[in-house]
Amino acid sequence: MAMTVQELLAKIKDKDDKVRSATWLAAGEVGAPAVRPLAALACDTSTELEVGRATKRAIWKIVRSAGRPGADAEKNAVVVELLILLAEGQPTPLMREVLWMLSEIGGDESVLPVAKLLASQELCEDARCCLQRMPGDKSLGALRAGLAAAPHDFKSAMADALRARGVDVPDVPSKKLVPTKSTRVKPVAR
Amino acid sequence: MNKYSGNMPRRSFLKTIGAATAAGTALGFPQVIPAGVLAVEGKPGANSKLTFAHIGIGGMGGGHLGDMVGRMKRGECNIAALCDVDDQHLERASKVAGPQADVYRDYRYVLERKDIDAVIIATPDHWHGVQTVHAAERGKHVYVEKPACCTIEEGKAMITAGKKHKVAIQVGSQGRSTGDAYAACRYVVNGMIGKVTRVDCWHYASPGDGGGNPDSDPPPYLDWDLWLGPLRWRPYNSRYLHGVFRWFLESGGGQIRDRGAHVMSVAKYVMQADDAGPVTVEATGTAPTKGLWDTAVDMQVIYTFKNPDWVLTWNQPGKPVPMENGKMHGYGAVYHGSKGDLVIWGGDGGTNTEKKAREWRAPAGAKEVYRSPGHKEDWFNGIRTGAKTIMNIEAAVGVANLCILGNLSFILGRKLQWDQAKQEIVGDEEARRMMSVPQRYPYCL
Repeated sequence: MAMTVQELLAKIKDKDDKVRSATWLAAGEVGAPAVRPLAALACDTSTELEVGRATKRAIWKIVRSAGRPGADAEKNAVVVELLILLAEGQPTPLMREVLWMLSEIGGDESVLPVAKLLASQELCEDARCCLQRMPGDKSLGALRAGLAAAPHDFKSAMADALRARGVDVPDVPSKKLVPTKSTRVKPVAR
Repeated sequence: MNKYSGNMPRRSFLKTIGAATAAGTALGFPQVIPAGVLAVEGKPGANSKLTFAHIGIGGMGGGHLGDMVGRMKRGECNIAALCDVDDQHLERASKVAGPQADVYRDYRYVLERKDIDAVIIATPDHWHGVQTVHAAERGKHVYVEKPACCTIEEGKAMITAGKKHKVAIQVGSQGRSTGDAYAACRYVVNGMIGKVTRVDCWHYASPGDGGGNPDSDPPPYLDWDLWLGPLRWRPYNSRYLHGVFRWFLESGGGQIRDRGAHVMSVAKYVMQADDAGPVTVEATGTAPTKGLWDTAVDMQVIYTFKNPDWVLTWNQPGKPVPMENGKMHGYGAVYHGSKGDLVIWGGDGGTNTEKKAREWRAPAGAKEVYRSPGHKEDWFNGIRTGAKTIMNIEAAVGVANLCILGNLSFILGRKLQWDQAKQEIVGDEEARRMMSVPQRYPYCL
């Protein structure tokens, strides 16, 4: 019999790391209803470091379990929960995790909420990567719109995402091979 | 084959150099002849010294540097540049390499230099794909540490770049270049253990993480942004580096991707299966109970191959087989044939096989297999002649894909179906998306 959300939350806070790990490994069976309670626990600043890590792993386990073939209803339910987290606004580290989770299982319904974060200075790169990974015309359209709206210093990154999706973007130069970082180390005396 | 390649007789070559030098002197040109002058583009002349740069000089990179400095002291090559994101590594390496080697933090400065023929890349695994592709795009030959890549799509990009820019890429699974791997391969290929239907690899477990380390500011000598490179942003934590990057699924992939790239490289070589891939991959394992590391501690992966049918298993820790001297080896593989078994211990530079294979004398008409003259020598030969190296990028990606697919099955907790012809996972949309991981700009393919 699957754990309840309350059992999951109790066990994931256990002092014994073996209990915590067994709990997050089994989180997939609890599914979507556990996503937001786990996220709340992860964001609670009083949560102990290792409990926080186990909590994050539990959400990932739920995402990966829901993404299995033939489990579309479970997957859609998890995506809904992730989108609620995005809409509510969370601490940046959690928002980043949510974006990468959506990159694995999100569909067209996720494109607009993710695309909005292209305007976030802290999350734009993760949002770009998420859109790059999500297949379909809608995410491609969001990348095109994102390029048009991007500030000058983010255009190359947006253009690269489009190139990765097979779109020719001739008018935005690539910066991938342009060196930018110098060392203060000098070669041994010449 | 160009006329200045390795097949040119030394006497003719020297005659040509003499004529070229005399002509150059007469015209007021310097008499130093760079590696590329007497050859077609991308293939330095047979007797010219190659000029190298080292990218990533801690850990294995330090070992490569020591090896190449030895070659430089014997007059065989030049070392023109060193690069690392850790200033402490750079300071140490500069003392080893000498004053002629410039030092850089950003590998792209190295790639801009036209005097550098080839690069030796020994950075953490998450950089292998990007740096190899970028180096190839700049026309540099590449020796890159194993595993070749961290994702399926990285591997495809590396193969494409190597072909397009006609550079020699050797991946550091050097077990294939050992005499015992050659002996074992020849023994198996000639049917001495019959038809091989199963290869069981064993390897000791990955370490668990003690846990407890919180995130912090990076040390002043480390460029954390450049260390992360293609990976998504996260705060610095001392548990990420240096050598311990291996215990993260993203950056190292655990024992299966680190040492599996040795043991399973030898397996694919012995089975002459570089062009083959599995049809199914199924992994089980245990995750660390605490800490930041997330690679499997114990792990079993079953790969099934079709046409010919055989099974490859990765067992962590599995059942080690004692060596002939009675000592135990931490990793290796047993090849099960219809007429008997063969054991190969190790799989890296310290590969050993059984006496029956080592001492087997091939009869007339026996099948022969390629024998590498040494892993670096094989690469140098590839640079000069265009010959395919023993751990060429296609072969290395094939091995890395085994490791990647094993980890993906472990992460997802389900069996995967693989289409070798199309080089893609089938029937699992989430797993398909995980064949690539979008990389942080500008550190991307």
